[in-house]
Amino acid sequence: MMFDYVRHHAWLGFSLIALGLIVGPFVVVVFALSGQFAAIDWSLLATDAYLRAVIWFSIWQAALSTVLSVGLALPLARALARRQFVGRGLLLRVFSVALVIPPIVAVYGLVVVHGRQGWVNELLRYLDLSSGSYLYGLVGILLAHVFFNLPLATRIVLQRMESIEPESWRLASQLGMSSWQHWRLLEWPHIRSVLAPLAALIFALCFTSFAIIMSLGGGPRATTLEVAIYQAVRLDFDLPLATQLSLVQLVLCSFIVWLGLRLGRPAEISHSIGVHVVRPDIGSWQSKLADVLLLLLGLVLIVLPLSGVILAGLNGHWGQVLGDAQLWLAAWNSLWVAVCAAALCLFMAWGLLLMRRHTQERWPWVAAVLESVGMLTLVMPALVLGTGLFLALRLWVDVFAINLYLVLLVNSILGLPFMLRVLTAPYLQLARQHDRLCTSLDISGWHRLRQIEWPLLKPAIGLGLAIVAAFSVGDLGVVALFGTPDIKTLPLLMYQRLGSYQADAAAVTAVVLLALCLLVFVMMEKGVGGRRA
Amino acid sequence: MLELNRVQASQGRNQFCFTGTLSQGKCTALMGASGAGKTTLLNLLAGFVMPDSGQLLWQGQELATLSPAQRPFTSLFQEHNLFAHLNLFDNVGLGLHPGLRLLPEQVEAVNLALQQVGLGGMGQRLPSSLSGGQRQRTALARALVRRQPWLLLDEPFSALDPGLRQEMMSLVSDLQQQYQLSIVLVTHDPQEALKMASEVMFIAEGGVYWQGHGNEFLQQINEPIQRYLGHTTG
Repeated sequence: MMFDYVRHHAWLGFSLIALGLIVGPFVVVVFALSGQFAAIDWSLLATDAYLRAVIWFSIWQAALSTVLSVGLALPLARALARRQFVGRGLLLRVFSVALVIPPIVAVYGLVVVHGRQGWVNELLRYLDLSSGSYLYGLVGILLAHVFFNLPLATRIVLQRMESIEPESWRLASQLGMSSWQHWRLLEWPHIRSVLAPLAALIFALCFTSFAIIMSLGGGPRATTLEVAIYQAVRLDFDLPLATQLSLVQLVLCSFIVWLGLRLGRPAEISHSIGVHVVRPDIGSWQSKLADVLLLLLGLVLIVLPLSGVILAGLNGHWGQVLGDAQLWLAAWNSLWVAVCAAALCLFMAWGLLLMRRHTQERWPWVAAVLESVGMLTLVMPALVLGTGLFLALRLWVDVFAINLYLVLLVNSILGLPFMLRVLTAPYLQLARQHDRLCTSLDISGWHRLRQIEWPLLKPAIGLGLAIVAAFSVGDLGVVALFGTPDIKTLPLLMYQRLGSYQADAAAVTAVVLLALCLLVFVMMEKGVGGRRA
Repeated sequence: MLELNRVQASQGRNQFCFTGTLSQGKCTALMGASGAGKTTLLNLLAGFVMPDSGQLLWQGQELATLSPAQRPFTSLFQEHNLFAHLNLFDNVGLGLHPGLRLLPEQVEAVNLALQQVGLGGMGQRLPSSLSGGQRQRTALARALVRRQPWLLLDEPFSALDPGLRQEMMSLVSDLQQQYQLSIVLVTHDPQEALKMASEVMFIAEGGVYWQGHGNEFLQQINEPIQRYLGHTTG
């Protein structure tokens, strides 16, 4: 009996460890930040022009990025839903990995295309038109944010559009609906529910974006809170200011995420590309022209910078850069941190889901709390988490000596919302379908994991690991806070080379970083998820 | 004998209180309008739903404290009886060990059970390559290897064509004879149920409304039973 009791409640121990790993750092951070409360000068918020400019710019650039990304995603997704063309599958594939491309690589691609010596300016000069610098500042930040978020938004909207039943389209064509009526009566009702959470997610991502602002922004006119926190900690060591900025950031971010969740349900991320339906509204030349232009715009915004990275890299001095031991050491650091962060993130997510499954019948409120714990990390930006841990741990250990482990921990926590978005729906679906059978056959714990859950959830687990690991490879946020000259990751190395005008070395490093990121993604997705994933 | 003594449970807004007995070695048909609580009663027996109060006794032993796997029941659901990613052999083998570590004689038993339900030699096939009837046969084979005295059938054949349904019913009848099984069968079709079941338990108004021999059931003039059978004219 005793043994049975332990066996049937082993999940609780597992879940509590996972929960502790997630909630623990938050408690530490809150505790550490509260130590600085007394020293905060709140009147700064009203009087300090720099501070107000930073807050205003954070909101302004995030709002513009969100409007642009979502606004373009709607017609672009519609064009993709309406047309079948060679390379459509490849384009969607590029869209699906765009989110995990290292920000610093994207920045480099934008420099190649839009920089002072970039393709666009070359073309303008060739045509004898005035050329100039427009990349640094708001324009560049928006280009970069659209690069990341337009594909994400497009995929989610497209997924919703493709979930419209074929019968609805047949009915629509029988009823002779116009293109506008299709939109109003069929597509919009399907899309509407995911838009608010999608916009909130994009806003939160842009609001807390770091690497992009660090590279393309700067000065009081193009600095965000996230960058200001970094500067306060790393350059000025003004801890009360860092705490104050963190709190402002936290409040604004929570409000946006809360608003988004109030207004709709988040879409799940999955592999499935729905069945392509021949729609009745594709005949007219106006619609054809519009779709072609939209798809070209999508190519220019997303595919062009990526090709820029690859083409510039091909012209670089490979031998010299690859012979540099620093590069390999940095690549190795990035790789192991990413793989471990993904694994730790899976452990945390699994613990949460396990507890949610066990409690959702008897104590629905526990399950609801667990659901929001998963969202907690969306509102706690990387640098706030990093700053808090830095403040708390510097009293006990040499923070810079264990920096990579901290990066690992923070990255796994930051990846949690994405891991949960991928895993939750299939996990709970499996539970609904097989719970009775499993309990009647006494398949629980390890047996359940090995015989039932692993084989059935493998594709989702692979995708979740792939996203988190690739994210972590490209991370240039927390690592900038903790980085030291001798312990580096690849994005950090890349950032330094970009900053010190080593264009050739940067070009090759960008390709290596991009390759590593995609390699990790595919390794996790196919290696863990199975070939058919 | 299985005794239900004021077993109470609530499902959503519905309150149930079951009192009655199920005889061993026989087939009892559980009938009643949809939503009357047939499946709830079955879930209470199997342990998927915990009672709020009352006693559930089998051979004088209280069952309510036992986990579903420890109870003397094996269930056949309407669907999702098989794991789609496991082949037939493994699906049946799970009935003997939840981690599929089988002794040589257990491997033998699995193959024998598959043979008995007419699926001999098909152990390596996946459920997706089978017909609906064959899938339910596989689940039946697993029920056999588990060697539990009670078999709970929750409309397991309602999705099958009439011919196949007949076939499955007679297969279950044969197996019942051979293994001395006690069966509780939930079904919608009174005629069909009475071919197989000698006992009837009629569920209505949140409990066991009537219980007795099958041949007496159709003669009942109680209003709920008449309405259920479609005999009321008003």
